[in-house]
Amino acid sequence: MTNLALSGALLLTLIAVATPAASGSPATENKSCLRCHAMATLAYRDPGTGDIVDLAVNPHALSHSVHGEIDCIDCHEGDFGRYPHPADAANETLSCVGCHEKDDTKDDTKDDTKDNIARFKSIDAEYAESVHATSDSAEAEGFSCHSCHDPHGFRASQVGEEIAAIVRDDNQVCLSCHEKVRDPLSDPHAWLPNREKHWNAVRCLDCHTPLSDNGKTVSHQVLKAEDSNRDCVNCHSRESSLLNRLYQYRSEEDLATKGWLNKAVFNDAYVVGMSRNATLDLLGLIVTGLTLLVLAAHGFGRYKAYQRTKGKPE
Amino acid sequence: MKRIALKPLSPTAKRRLIVTVLVLIGLTVAYKVLYPLAFESYVGKTNAPLTYASSTALTKTEFEALAQELSTNARQRKAAAIVDTDQEPFARQVKIEMLMNTESFIRDTEPSHIKYFREAGIHRYEGPQTCLHCHATIQVTHGDGTVKNVDTLGDIVNSVHFKFQSESGGFSTYGYDGRQVNSGPHKIPVGKINRACGIPGSFTWTGWAALVASRPEHGEGEVTMRSEGCGQCHIGGNYQPATEKMMPIGDVPSEAKEGIDCLICHSTDYDMNERHVIQDDKGLRWNQDRSLRAALTVGPISSETCLRCHQHNMGGDAYLHNEAARSLGHINQRILHRGAKRGNPFSPHDDTHAASGIQCTDCHVPEGHKIPRGRKGVDLVANDIPTKDVTCESCHTQAPHNQSEHKALLNGHIARLACETCHIKELEAENVVLRDWVHPTWDSDEGLFEPTDIYRSGKPGKGFTFLWFNGNGTFLANALGNNPNGSDTYNPLMQQVARIDDPEMIAAVRSKATELKQQYPEIDVDAYVRMATDPLSQLSPEMLAKREAMIQNNLRAVMSQGESRIYPFKLFNAMMFEDMSNQGPFGAMILPFDYASYYETGDTPASVKKAIADPIVQRMYQEPFKLYMMDEFMSYFGITEGWKTVYPLVDGRLENVEPHWMRQMGTLMVNHGIQGKGRDCIECHSPDGIMNFRQLGYSPERVAELEDIDIIENLKEQPDSAAAQ
Repeated sequence: MTNLALSGALLLTLIAVATPAASGSPATENKSCLRCHAMATLAYRDPGTGDIVDLAVNPHALSHSVHGEIDCIDCHEGDFGRYPHPADAANETLSCVGCHEKDDTKDDTKDDTKDNIARFKSIDAEYAESVHATSDSAEAEGFSCHSCHDPHGFRASQVGEEIAAIVRDDNQVCLSCHEKVRDPLSDPHAWLPNREKHWNAVRCLDCHTPLSDNGKTVSHQVLKAEDSNRDCVNCHSRESSLLNRLYQYRSEEDLATKGWLNKAVFNDAYVVGMSRNATLDLLGLIVTGLTLLVLAAHGFGRYKAYQRTKGKPE
Repeated sequence: MKRIALKPLSPTAKRRLIVTVLVLIGLTVAYKVLYPLAFESYVGKTNAPLTYASSTALTKTEFEALAQELSTNARQRKAAAIVDTDQEPFARQVKIEMLMNTESFIRDTEPSHIKYFREAGIHRYEGPQTCLHCHATIQVTHGDGTVKNVDTLGDIVNSVHFKFQSESGGFSTYGYDGRQVNSGPHKIPVGKINRACGIPGSFTWTGWAALVASRPEHGEGEVTMRSEGCGQCHIGGNYQPATEKMMPIGDVPSEAKEGIDCLICHSTDYDMNERHVIQDDKGLRWNQDRSLRAALTVGPISSETCLRCHQHNMGGDAYLHNEAARSLGHINQRILHRGAKRGNPFSPHDDTHAASGIQCTDCHVPEGHKIPRGRKGVDLVANDIPTKDVTCESCHTQAPHNQSEHKALLNGHIARLACETCHIKELEAENVVLRDWVHPTWDSDEGLFEPTDIYRSGKPGKGFTFLWFNGNGTFLANALGNNPNGSDTYNPLMQQVARIDDPEMIAAVRSKATELKQQYPEIDVDAYVRMATDPLSQLSPEMLAKREAMIQNNLRAVMSQGESRIYPFKLFNAMMFEDMSNQGPFGAMILPFDYASYYETGDTPASVKKAIADPIVQRMYQEPFKLYMMDEFMSYFGITEGWKTVYPLVDGRLENVEPHWMRQMGTLMVNHGIQGKGRDCIECHSPDGIMNFRQLGYSPERVAELEDIDIIENLKEQPDSAAAQ
């Protein structure tokens, strides 16, 4: 049974006859592709550049990604039905717009930033302003969505996820190209106090995108170094801009049960200036006051005792 | 009273000081003089200054004549390689001669040490002291780029090549007790797990050098002396191996250090015919080439120099292109070991790297005299640089296939398969799988009794098998690893390496056993075949249950470490005499044979008796040795009750000693004999392929997929014909 379904010839027939909607279960379809593409080392070296072209898809990451529900052939419409794939199949243009185009049923003028599935209109506008789009550096040539977002593994961070993990995964995307940042000798972040701590606690994007209003997520307009946020107070204040950026992922429920302070502490994200707690301040003041009081009383006692012995003869 | 800063010592203090100094001097003398003497008497070995007949002094004229000859030879060879062969022979000859006598050509081609020796006035090669004259220290570049100046002699004395054991941690070897060898505070000296050998493990002491009287039948009764012993492949020239290095204190005596054979590795014109056993009034030891000819031709290390010894464990002694086997000795010729230990030669004929001129040290990049063997390994426990990798990937990228239409698919396999799995298609046919040391066979040509190879094969599934491997191995050389699917059915220690199912192999073993029965009537053929092909049948039900529990509790975690890939492993098992007082679920302590009596008489019990009468083996069965290392050794070996010091030789009789096959086959890594063209898909991906996917821990559905022949058939078809279907 399985053997037959997997045979290339039959597969070809399946694809030729059935429309994507009517084809077999998504699992079966993807399985045929993943039979090879799940090999972690499926790759070849491009004879032109000598670079390794990675063809591997991590099935676990794929099924957990935003595209996890889609069939491979929904995006890859070329003639991939058999192996070896015909040479021209590699030149396919991916039709992302097929899914990610604006929905006609919705109001064209409506702000799509709240739409979590495909807010491509505003992203497009933001990206157009991004240093990745405007730079004339040779390195930025050919920059596309896929330079950062692996379509086979991309998933938006979810409320309730561990902040540290979100930071790590997000920054990894940036660091995969911006290697210079790792070099302590030429790192432009040298001015930043507690550099390592910042890197482990906030995302590159939290400083390198324009400040946004409440309720809006981080923009796709990545800023140039000189335009990026260097004002500590933006985060280190009670109205920290981190609250509606990074910390939007804090689970509301968690907050309700554990309280603000605990959540911040357990996240290892106590932000000086932001996470100020008035009760704690008062408590601190009382403890300090009490200490001073005890010290004073002790000193007074010693003074009294000294005077008493002084008055008496040996 | 006025105080002074320096008071003359009171008589008491003076006395104390003198006593302290005397005690210190006494201790030093004791350590330097008495300890070595005590040690020698404890292990029953001797040391003496070592002399070699080939180390002769030349007169100035003789030196110059030799220099002339060596220079001419070297220039002739190089010029002949340069001058085009496609011309009149005479014209070619004239050109070669012209080139040979060109100033720059002489400068670049003449062996460099001719000039050095001439300038230093050295007309005799006297071993290490001659080399150290200039090379007292050497610069060592470590893997991390740091450069250090080290004492040359110390560097070599502490290398595995000299002492062939080490007690440092960082091993990829795990005991059956689940502990990584020497990772704890109690470190014991460990070498390699050489079960193909009749003198396995530390028993090198008993078989370092032997002279064997052979009686070849064509010689009509005349006796020919032959050389045998572990010392032929180790660079020490002493009467015994570097035994002192096994002890927590003490050093190798300087006489022994002067016996180190520098030239066997460093000379290009070393005469392997000098490598034979010699006897002097102190005992037997290995001769070496200390001629000025060898010394003057010192040059860079090359595969050729390494292979003087190492073809023995790769292609095998009897391998057709084993150069060392052409020079077995001017006298007392070395005995060739038939039945290759691995059967994967490194030579231009059978290895693509050797064919492209790649040298051993290109992959095994030395740091001084320490040579890395890589992090992965199952049979060689001692490791000079345990942290250094030796891998295919260090040269080949992660996407090494560029030739085939299916290159991406081939590269895809690398996540699960080691390169060797496809690129070593077969081992030499001489590759020995089952060797019976207990029932030797008379070799009439050699005039010797030799161990009987019950089964030899270089074929996949027979001479070697495929196992998951994460770099770890057991204390008896079994590859550890697991299917990345986290399988709990993959259990090679109960399956692949613990039984032989192949009917062809079983039939071959049966026929060999029947043949042996003619010599040894006491052999019960059925029982013999069962023991050889189902070694677990030798265990009692309790032992078997204990074994399964130990695998689950101690080894599962070690098997699941890291990333496993499928590697080919050469299989090996041997029947030897075992000390049954020290038996565990994985085997018992194997006992060595005395080479001379074994080869000469074939009386194996007598040979064992002789070997274990050696003082060092007696020491092994005493309390100090038990505490020093044997208890720890046994624990790694899977024997939880500790080492039983029941000496198995009582009144000239062997007590509680039985012939057995080890309870599972050993698995040796094979990494050489690499072929450029790998396997065809169908060799594995078919229902009767060479890989047993089920035993490798795949689910039945996945096995069906992997064995799916249609996919492979499809690969072969042209796209057009596939589309037409």
